[in-house]
Amino acid sequence: ADIISTVEFNYTGDLLATGDKGGRVVIFQREQETKGRPLSRGEYNVYSTFQSHEPEFDYLKSLEIEEKINKIRWLPQQNAAHFLLSTNDKTIKLWKISERDKRAEGYNLKDEDGRLRERFRVTELRVPTLKPMDLMVEASPRRTFANAHTYHINSISVNSDCATYLSADDLRINLWHLEVTNRSFNIVDIKPANMEELTEVITAAEFHPHHCNVLVYSSSKGTIRLCDMRSAALCDRHAKFFEEPEDPSSRSFFSEIISSISDVKFSHSGRYMMTRDYLSVKVWDLNMENRPVETYQVEHPRVLSRASCPRPVCVSNACPCPQVHEYLRSKLCSLYENDCIFDKFECCWNGSDSTIMTGSYNNFFRTFERSTRRDTTLEASRESSKPRAVLKPRKVCTSGKRKKDEISVDSLDFNKKILHTAWHPMENIIAVAATNNLYLFQEKVN
Amino acid sequence: MLGRGLKRKLSDYEENMAGLSSAFDSSRSLSYPLKRQLVLNMCLTKLQTYKMLVEPNLHRSVLIANTVRQIQEEMRQESSQQPVNICPGIAPASHSYTGMESPGLSLQLPSGVGQQESHCCDLRSVEDPIENSLLMVSDDDMSSAISSILKDLDFVEDISPPTCLVPTGDDQPKFPENTCLKLEDDRQDLKGAECVFGSFEISNSTSYLKDLAIDDIFEDIDTSMYDSDFCCPPLMPPRSPSLATEEPLKTFPSCNSSSANNIQICRTDLSELDHIMEILVGS
Repeated sequence: ADIISTVEFNYTGDLLATGDKGGRVVIFQREQETKGRPLSRGEYNVYSTFQSHEPEFDYLKSLEIEEKINKIRWLPQQNAAHFLLSTNDKTIKLWKISERDKRAEGYNLKDEDGRLRERFRVTELRVPTLKPMDLMVEASPRRTFANAHTYHINSISVNSDCATYLSADDLRINLWHLEVTNRSFNIVDIKPANMEELTEVITAAEFHPHHCNVLVYSSSKGTIRLCDMRSAALCDRHAKFFEEPEDPSSRSFFSEIISSISDVKFSHSGRYMMTRDYLSVKVWDLNMENRPVETYQVEHPRVLSRASCPRPVCVSNACPCPQVHEYLRSKLCSLYENDCIFDKFECCWNGSDSTIMTGSYNNFFRTFERSTRRDTTLEASRESSKPRAVLKPRKVCTSGKRKKDEISVDSLDFNKKILHTAWHPMENIIAVAATNNLYLFQEKVN
Repeated sequence: MLGRGLKRKLSDYEENMAGLSSAFDSSRSLSYPLKRQLVLNMCLTKLQTYKMLVEPNLHRSVLIANTVRQIQEEMRQESSQQPVNICPGIAPASHSYTGMESPGLSLQLPSGVGQQESHCCDLRSVEDPIENSLLMVSDDDMSSAISSILKDLDFVEDISPPTCLVPTGDDQPKFPENTCLKLEDDRQDLKGAECVFGSFEISNSTSYLKDLAIDDIFEDIDTSMYDSDFCCPPLMPPRSPSLATEEPLKTFPSCNSSSANNIQICRTDLSELDHIMEILVGS
């Protein structure tokens, strides 16, 4: 099994798509509840597997183009078939997944095995009949959107008009029509005339869930820009600019790197958006640009509110209250040295926008209930995840005395990271990708 | 040290770096300038590694280059306040970032953080003199290194608008002179000086010319069309895979001004940097 690189539920939650490093897409379908097997409801089984992207070679630049699937986005369902967009670094493809459970029998000119019947054997005219057959799920590529990105695509987002979508790379965002593959419109371009002046790249982009003219994109400097496509053809001038002023007392050499936003997601309501940077998740109200309304420290057991630590943090780590600060902050130099500081974690909302979830290291993932500020740390591992067993919350301790069942900061495995998570759009079912394993957890219903 | 399951790298240098970064994280007595130097060295090493990749990650390169710029700016502020030796006691640590608008901070030792640093300053005199030499990296080298790293060889297939010829900031080298100086300088030194960002667009397209001296090929070709749009793209020597064996610091281009004198000065700086790198690698 290959390393999973993206996870996405469809609009009903019945289908779950995963993309991996080898360019494959695996779709899981939720089992329907049946009288005979009441417990099987909620189980996801493999529905379809297909190779979406193949490795390519760019002859002009002598570069290999990875087949790794960066993002999958479902289209809202409009007929019996399902459509999804999958993208690697350079090319986006529209796939149609359709079921076939009947086949026609009794053709006039052909035999059952497809061979042409001899003329003299055709003595009467008959109407072919449809007979049931074993369910077959076919995936076929319907569109290929290529050659529009010089840099690596990091995001795709389907518009609420269900006719257009955007694709974003490090420096540009393009707008496509789903029916047109030979043309795309560039709507954001932050490439400077002189590359020496480049200080910021685009890290994620998304369309608003209800307003088809609104999109946001996040940057490596920790800022988010909201653009309105009605104002101009080129959305280089943002309509809103979201940035939290930096706390000068918490400044370090790595401040900018850890402020780089790795994911941005609108809430289902469209009123809020959530951003994930290296150490925290922030919820922003679209009507307030100068700071987020909620901040959750991901790497710390306790949830911190907007207010920062009462005592200032100094660069040399001689802070008098070390236990209040994220334990990862104390390891930033090591994490920079081994490149972990560049890991891009995703985040997601639950269906009612009441809870947010994101991944972390050591195969931990965290959920934050917004109203109660309660957070839970859970682990996705084979040992702790027997089927139907209830997950035990984990806790990380920072200071010397480690209680039973706690994990010490220094024994965290930074190779085991949960970058991709997804939440069912309506129910409390979550999908968590831990390297090459996919875990599905469901809220225990008594 | 870094967590279960994390493999330690094999090379001595990198083992040292791993030790240093943990020391950075855990030690409270490491002085601020030393920490800063450590971070700077790590950044430059990473950028160097990325340059050798066929397709470096633009996002990471930008972040690291910004960090280098930050540190450089801070060091420049300090050196303008205290010219000769960088005494760590003067370093106002976190205040320097916000203190850029008020250079009048000058020689005032800030009370809180500075006291701790000045304590280290007293220790400095008895500390290893090698550590002192680590701090003596000139501003010119840094800014020219960054300029070269960020310079773009705008590729014809990218449909961005042509760049304006007039150089804007002070940091930016004057392009025609830059070209001349680059040609005059040791080819070996410059091969590695190819910018990280330029590689995203054009360098790879010329990679089939790796083994050839690109200037020889273009001698009789009129490159004025390209020169008018951007700065010396076809004249840059192509990257060579054999660079992996070169010492990283040799690749800092020394030319960021138009004066011929600077070539001399820059050459001595290069050898200083060589010296520093040897010490670092050797230690």
